Amino acid sequence: MSTRGVAYAGEVGFALWRRSLLELARVRGGLLPTTIAPVIFLLGSLGQFGRLDQLVGFPTTSYIAWLMPLSCLQGAGFAGGATGANLARDIEAGWFDRLLSSPAPRPLLIVGPVMAAMTRSLVPMTVILIVGLILGPGLTGGAYGLLMLYLAGVLFSVVAALWGITLALRARSQQVGPLIQNGVFIAVFLSTAYTPLPFLKGWLAVAAPYNPVTYVLQMGRQATVSGIEPSWAHTWPGLLALAGMILFFALLALRQLRRIDL
Amino acid sequence: MTDVALERDLAVQGRVILALAQRALRVQLRRAQFLLPSFLLPLLLLAVVASGTSAAQQLPGFPSTGSYVGFVVSGTIMQGTLLAGLMAGIAIAGDIEGGFFDRLLSAPVHRSSIVLGRVLGTAAIGVAQAVLFLAVAFAIGADFTGGAVGILLTILLAALSASAAAGLGAALALRTGSLSLMQNLFPFVFVLLFTAPAFFPRALLSPVLEKISVVNPLSYVVEGMRAALFDLPALGSVPGGFAAGIGSVVLTSSIAVWAMRSRAET
Amino acid sequence: MQPDATSTQAELGDHAIVVKGLERIYPGGLRAVDGVDIVVDSGEIYGFLGPNGAGKSTTVRILTTLLRPTGGSATVAGFDVLHEAPQVRRAIGVALQEAALDPLMTGRELLQLQGALHGLKRAEAKLRGADLLERVDLVDAGDRLLGTYSGGMRRRLDLAMALVHRPSVLFLDEPTTGLDPVSRSALWREVKALNDEGTTVFLTTQYLEEAEQLADRVGIIDHGRIVAEGTPQELGRLVGEPGLYVKLLDETQTEKARDLLAVHGAVSERREGGLTIRTALGARAIAPIVRTLDDAQIEVDAVEVEEPTLDDVFLAVTGRPAEETGGDQT
Repeated sequence: MSTRGVAYAGEVGFALWRRSLLELARVRGGLLPTTIAPVIFLLGSLGQFGRLDQLVGFPTTSYIAWLMPLSCLQGAGFAGGATGANLARDIEAGWFDRLLSSPAPRPLLIVGPVMAAMTRSLVPMTVILIVGLILGPGLTGGAYGLLMLYLAGVLFSVVAALWGITLALRARSQQVGPLIQNGVFIAVFLSTAYTPLPFLKGWLAVAAPYNPVTYVLQMGRQATVSGIEPSWAHTWPGLLALAGMILFFALLALRQLRRIDL
Repeated sequence: MTDVALERDLAVQGRVILALAQRALRVQLRRAQFLLPSFLLPLLLLAVVASGTSAAQQLPGFPSTGSYVGFVVSGTIMQGTLLAGLMAGIAIAGDIEGGFFDRLLSAPVHRSSIVLGRVLGTAAIGVAQAVLFLAVAFAIGADFTGGAVGILLTILLAALSASAAAGLGAALALRTGSLSLMQNLFPFVFVLLFTAPAFFPRALLSPVLEKISVVNPLSYVVEGMRAALFDLPALGSVPGGFAAGIGSVVLTSSIAVWAMRSRAET
Repeated sequence: MQPDATSTQAELGDHAIVVKGLERIYPGGLRAVDGVDIVVDSGEIYGFLGPNGAGKSTTVRILTTLLRPTGGSATVAGFDVLHEAPQVRRAIGVALQEAALDPLMTGRELLQLQGALHGLKRAEAKLRGADLLERVDLVDAGDRLLGTYSGGMRRRLDLAMALVHRPSVLFLDEPTTGLDPVSRSALWREVKALNDEGTTVFLTTQYLEEAEQLADRVGIIDHGRIVAEGTPQELGRLVGEPGLYVKLLDETQTEKARDLLAVHGAVSERREGGLTIRTALGARAIAPIVRTLDDAQIEVDAVEVEEPTLDDVFLAVTGRPAEETGGDQT
């Protein structure tokens, strides 16, 4: 691609990113569901299962410290998934056809929403973090841990956005929205969501180690779980999992986009 | 109006309620893609909770009920019936926005019959949910020592819980008349669920939640289910569950009828 | 005199609907219905005309007990809409605008539900539903979901539902809006047949033609007030002298034709081309007009007698076109 091409791509990507963000201002309470649901889940799970931190061998003495990164991922994932649902609406309204008929390179049409998802994911994560810090023991992982939590969340929102975009391009209908978000919900909770691996029983004990989100959670938990101290050993499996998921869903999304062209 | 006429009227209203309940059920079943989540989501959370938090049984003070899934399945039933109630509210809001509700209102029907028809239809869904969830729990290894009587009582409590939730959904839908608002209430199902001892015994909830759960009538319903399922009065009170359940149905349905009356004035 | 039941009948006389000083003021201060008086005789078809937002639907909602009036009174079938709402509901049939029908039910199920709502036993409701499906020619479609019905089929089913309990007063709120001409005339035939059987019909419409076809009397509402009332013929006369529309083959001659035709009546130019001549002679003026133009060697493309439309009547009684009122607030 020529320099001109790069500049053009940048411009188009920026314009699409801005449009996705503007929508936040226009659609009243657009971010509310993606923020409120994880906060409710955080507080509810804390209230229900809070005593689990008293189990012998639990890696932290504060259950909210264990849950907070989970809620952050959930919020970031919902924010990403919402991008897919919005794309489905654009497709239904015919706006996406207009984009398709423009000379913009095809992959860029995906980059815009993905970038918007990354930006949007910061809102629920920050709200959850504030709630968690008010109620919990604070950041045990310091700046590095906090950085890893945000990185895990932002990159997970990319995974969720690509998954949502794939489904939106396939279904071309807003009705796919709940399916996208249920997928995110399942991915996040079929993991070490409530207790660490050694405490899992039954089929989850078998499934969770194979769920990449388990490792993304571990990466994020460096921020708040005292038993998971900040270290490269707790980071690289998460990064690897995220890279793998992003690659996988990006390929799916691009394949789906090519099909739409035909 | 003479007594005879009133009596005849009651029989008519009974038929009206049944016809409306039948319609509510039928339409919900035909819109299965919307009803399905109220069966699948609770099962999903049951799977996660039963497997992910079963270590809780090692906590001091956790009651012994054999398999952990048997203990938490009552919360799953509660979640299902709450979702069914929300679906009922969404369906009513859809009827209002689509204009079908005006048709009901312009018929010579008691306002309460319109609410009770929907409540009854939702109760039937609650029964179906309870049967399914108990069967799944049983298949995974729950051992309900309360026997058939306990299971029957639990199913009845589920019907009450669904009825109360439907009354609440109806009240909100009738008050707001907005479909999009009803659809956005989804997260608040979890507020009601998590402020009751849905998955943990009340004594092991966090102190704040334990206090809140006292005023949530669902607390007594879910505890009543557990007490019935395991025939263990230590887990809760079956009559208490029925009292809370019936009280909630009366309360929420009354609010719904009141909301319907006030609709005609705006 | 006679026992109780007939004394109400006697007091009621032959009036199916009596509306006195009816008012509905919305919380925002909007006077949707602002002092309406209407008397509809038993067995009459009353046409209620007005543009969107004029107060038509609000009036109908009050008369069908869906909305409380904020002032005035109304009785339907001899019962007060406010204090005897249940009796009113038993006596009336309502086919509402938009034909609000549940898309996930079949025609037969909806009719049976409506039967149950009106107190019919299951077997009765079944029988009555089957009869009505036949009456509105929906037997074949009876077991299909409403979602698959065409607009005309929905309206017919809607009408059938309003008839389940053999009401004495039937409210039809814009029953043919959006229908094609064939479906429209089929529905008109059915309404006429019902009226012949003795049903009083209160019909709201935006179409003067519909009122002319069906109504014995017509009331026109604007800004919540009745601005004109009478038979369709009486209202048509309000428009003034009938108009003749002349379309020329060569539009550049319009100016010349306009001057020449002034001897026949008041001439006005139409925005879309052509001329309108108002003359008391009506159709009888066609020949002289054509002769005048022919003499001047202006070729005529078409001459039509213009039937007064709701727009014309509305313009005549309010002094402004119906479209400008806009806003669907009722």
